[in-house]
Formats: sequence, structure tokens, C-alpha cells
Amino acid sequence: MIPPIAEIGRVKRAEEISPGLWDMAIAAPRISTVTQAGQFAHVRVSEDFNPFLRRPLSIGPISGDDLRLIFHVRGEGTRLLAAKRPGDAVDLIGPLGHKIDVPAANNPLIFLTGGIGVVPLLTLDTQLPTSRKRIFILGVRSTRTIPVTLEEAVERKILWASDDGSLGFHGNTVQLLQKVIDELDPNAKPLVIACGPGPMLKGMKQFCEKRSIPALVSLEVPMGCGVGACQSCAVPKSDGSGYYLVCKDGPVFDAKDVSLEPGVLP
Amino acid sequence: MNIDHNITMNGMEFRTPLLTGSGTFGYGDEFLSLIDYDPFGGVVTKSLSVKPRKGNPPPRICETPGGGVINSIGLANPGVDVFLEEKRHVLPIDKTRVFLSIFGETVEEFVTVLTKLEDIEGISGYELNLSCPNVKQGGIAIGGDAGAIAQTVRECRAITDKFIAVKLTPHHTQVAPLAEAAAKNGASALTMINTLVGMMIDVESRKPLLGTVTGGYSGLPLKPVALAKVWQASKAVDIPIWASGGIVNGTDCIEFLLAGASGLQLGSVLFTDPYSPGRILKEMDQYCLRHGVISFRELIGALEKP
Repeated sequence: MIPPIAEIGRVKRAEEISPGLWDMAIAAPRISTVTQAGQFAHVRVSEDFNPFLRRPLSIGPISGDDLRLIFHVRGEGTRLLAAKRPGDAVDLIGPLGHKIDVPAANNPLIFLTGGIGVVPLLTLDTQLPTSRKRIFILGVRSTRTIPVTLEEAVERKILWASDDGSLGFHGNTVQLLQKVIDELDPNAKPLVIACGPGPMLKGMKQFCEKRSIPALVSLEVPMGCGVGACQSCAVPKSDGSGYYLVCKDGPVFDAKDVSLEPGVLP
Repeated sequence: MNIDHNITMNGMEFRTPLLTGSGTFGYGDEFLSLIDYDPFGGVVTKSLSVKPRKGNPPPRICETPGGGVINSIGLANPGVDVFLEEKRHVLPIDKTRVFLSIFGETVEEFVTVLTKLEDIEGISGYELNLSCPNVKQGGIAIGGDAGAIAQTVRECRAITDKFIAVKLTPHHTQVAPLAEAAAKNGASALTMINTLVGMMIDVESRKPLLGTVTGGYSGLPLKPVALAKVWQASKAVDIPIWASGGIVNGTDCIEFLLAGASGLQLGSVLFTDPYSPGRILKEMDQYCLRHGVISFRELIGALEKP
């Protein structure tokens, strides 16, 4: 794994793509050239330590020297980040964590994503050979919270699920996942790669374990240093023997290795 | 003009007063690609215990308004034996002074860990963690009792000539008896202070933001508390004080030196700004230049009367 790089990036584009949902392109050539799908950047939001900590954000598709961050304004930290404009500096540490390790094979991949959990899978999509079959599921609350551009959605033939039925499948992404899998060739041996809200990931893990479908899961939890020193971002190992650190051992895990018991995911 | 950063503490020379705060810097290797060790006089590792500790259930960290952080790690560590086998080689002893933090649930455990660590060549000493708020036994339980502090320090001193810093809790109105208990029994320095016990609640879910409900409060809001404890301790004892609590810039460091500290621990600040050590030294230099100070040593305890 490449050691983390400290880099001051420059905002090139900042766009509010839905209310409170921001898509930002940041020129950060040193980090961009070595980033692999699934890795994250630790982003400083406040010069005066208020709020104190950096924000771990999945690195979106790389384009030349630029990386993309897509994030919701949830509190003061993300509000400060969203206030940045083209030309502004962004203090980044990255790329952190492990990439999404996709075994070289021909079995289909199912990207199960919810909200801004779509980001690492967008990146993976751009880095995988086009010949690899994948089905891209994206769950949103409604048409008012769509974290991708129309072009991206069309290019990737995204299958939508929405809580209010305003877009695509009316229901949750795990129900749609079940429908998709039931329609596959019974010998297809799909691999599910999931990133999104806690309840979605828990539902996915339960479903995949019941059906013996292998699954990878990318986790987001409260984090301190981002490099494995402070041990704040712990998730329990499913065998009860201790904890993994999301920053260092993850953020991508084999779903069967981690326990997503209540309290683990925000 | 170059400001003299050198500080001698209990006969040991430190090229600068800057140190890391235990638990924020692992064993010194995680930040390797991000941090310049030159600005550090030394690093203090994450605490080691006799047995491995898995640590506390998540969530283990949350923020508070006003630049605070609360953590509940629970002294997760591989245990001293695994550390000696797998991690001793990562200690940055070729780059700066290294102090190994030790935690025990009993006096015997402190002694056992220290005895085993005496095998490591090149380390400068230890910090005894007598004040962790995130464990059920040991920690504050020992660190709140002057008799237990005295015994722990005395028994550790009996087996090593190396530097021993003793990290104390802020949870006592009377600092002097605890500080004296450490100083009289062979402590080389005191570390003031460990985190304060704190908690946060999400009113929507009515749940605490930490898996253990309460945790250790650090960050900006801790500084005034730490300053007062450092000042009180420096009045009570003659051994050097290592300040810890809310340091993020050069002004904070100058304040702690004036209050009587000789060492300055950077803790949570390293999460957000791993390059802060170099910046902080520059900011301290600028203060010195403005005030005609030629050595950091001049500032230690140089607080004027109100």
C-alpha cells in the first residue's frame, strides 16, 4: 500500500447538485494519480480546529489531476467544506485505506449503493474493464436527492430504488437486490459490493448470508487520525475476537468478517 | 537569529520541548510518511499493558461544539509481549527520543510491563498512565489515590534508571498531594493532564454518542483546565511538567511554558494537522523574536503576577 500523501488541493468546480448535496472537483495531482477505487481522503474542514476533526470522504472518479468528492451537508464541518469555491485550497491526506479488491473472474458484480454511498462504486466503475458485467443499483430517498449526474446514470444503466417510489423501484435497495439476483442465471455466482446507509448494509449482509452470496462492504464510521494511530474507527470482528479499524483494515471488508450490530454504523 | 529550543529536564536534554501525547500517535510508525520528526524532542507511545486489550465498543469518538473531541478507545493495544515481538522495531528511536507509555490495572502490572520493556535498547524512558478515564480498573482508580501513586512510582523507579513521567488526572481539586506523591518517589516529570470525563447525547435518538456513554474529553476547550493544573503542579513540585491539553498553536505552547511547563505534548491536534509541530515551533519563534527572548528556557514559569 502506498503511504498516505499530504497535499493541498485546489477546488476546480463546486456544484450543489441537489439541496445540500455537493459535487466538488479538486485538483490534487499527487493523490489523484495513485488513488484506487474504495480509498478515501481525510479532508480538513476548519483552519481553526472548530470543528476539530478531518472528515473522511470517499474519493470519487479521477479525471486527470482531479479527484471528485460528493458529500451531504450534515453539520458544521461539511457546511464549511461546501462553502469552498473554485480556487480555494483544500487540505487533504490520502489516499487512505484499502482499495476494493475485485477478484479477476467473469462472474457478474452487483453494485449496491445508497445515497452518497454511490461514490466509491462510481470510481470502481471507471477503473474496471468494460467487459466485466456489472449491475448498478442506487437507492435514493426521492428524486430530490440524486447524487449522480444524468449522464453518469444513463452511461451506467443505473437501476433506481426510491423510498417514495418517485424513481424506479418503489422500495428499498435490498428488495431490489433480491429481485435482481432472482432474475440472474442460477449459476451466475454474483459478487455484491455495497456502500450506503447502515440499515441498507445490515439488510444486505443478512440477505447475502442467507443466500450464501459473497459480498464486500465499504463502511463509514466516526474517525480520528485516519492512519491507524488513534484506533477510533473500530468495527467489531464477527467472530468476537476484537475489532478492525476502518481506516487501516478497511474501509472495504468482506461482509461476513464484520459485525454490523446496533451502534456500529451511524 | 536562531531561538534556542533546547530544554534540559532532570538531566536529560531535549532538542525541543515538543512531545506527542500518548494514544494519539500509535507507536510512532503510522504517521511516518506525513510527519517530520525533527521538531519533536520526543514521542510518547500508545499505552502498553500486560495483556492485550481489545478496546471499547464503538462508536469510540465524537466531536463537541467549540472544537472539542471525546474519545473512548479503552487502551486498545496488543499487550507487551506481542508488542516486543512484532512492533518494537517500528519505534522511531533513530529519529527522536522515545518514551513508552505503560498502563496497569494494578501496581504489579505496571512493574511487569516496565520490567519487560527494559529489554529495548535506545528508548529514553516511560510515561506511567495513571489517569485513563476509559477503563474500569486502574487508570483514575490508582491515579486518584496519592498512596497508590507513590507505591507505583516507587516500585517502577526501583527497576529502572530511565526517565519516568507520571501522567495525572485533572479530576482532583487538589493537585499538590498527587504531584508530590509522584515527585517524592522518583518521578522524573509529571504529565498534566489526561482527558476530562465527558459525554454527548443525540437528542433525536436519545442515545449517547459513544459506545461507553462517557469518554475522555480533549481539544480546544481543555486548555484552560490544563493550564490551571500545570500551574498548580509547578508550584507544588520541582520536577519538570509536561503539559497536555488543547495545544494547537504556538501561543498555546507559550502559555503553558509561562505557567511552568517544560515539555509540551501535542495530542488530538496531530489527527487534524500532522504538520503542526514545525508550524508551532515557528509560531513560538515569532513570539520570542517579538519579545526579545533568545531561549525557550527563559519562558518556563515566567508568568507575571496579575
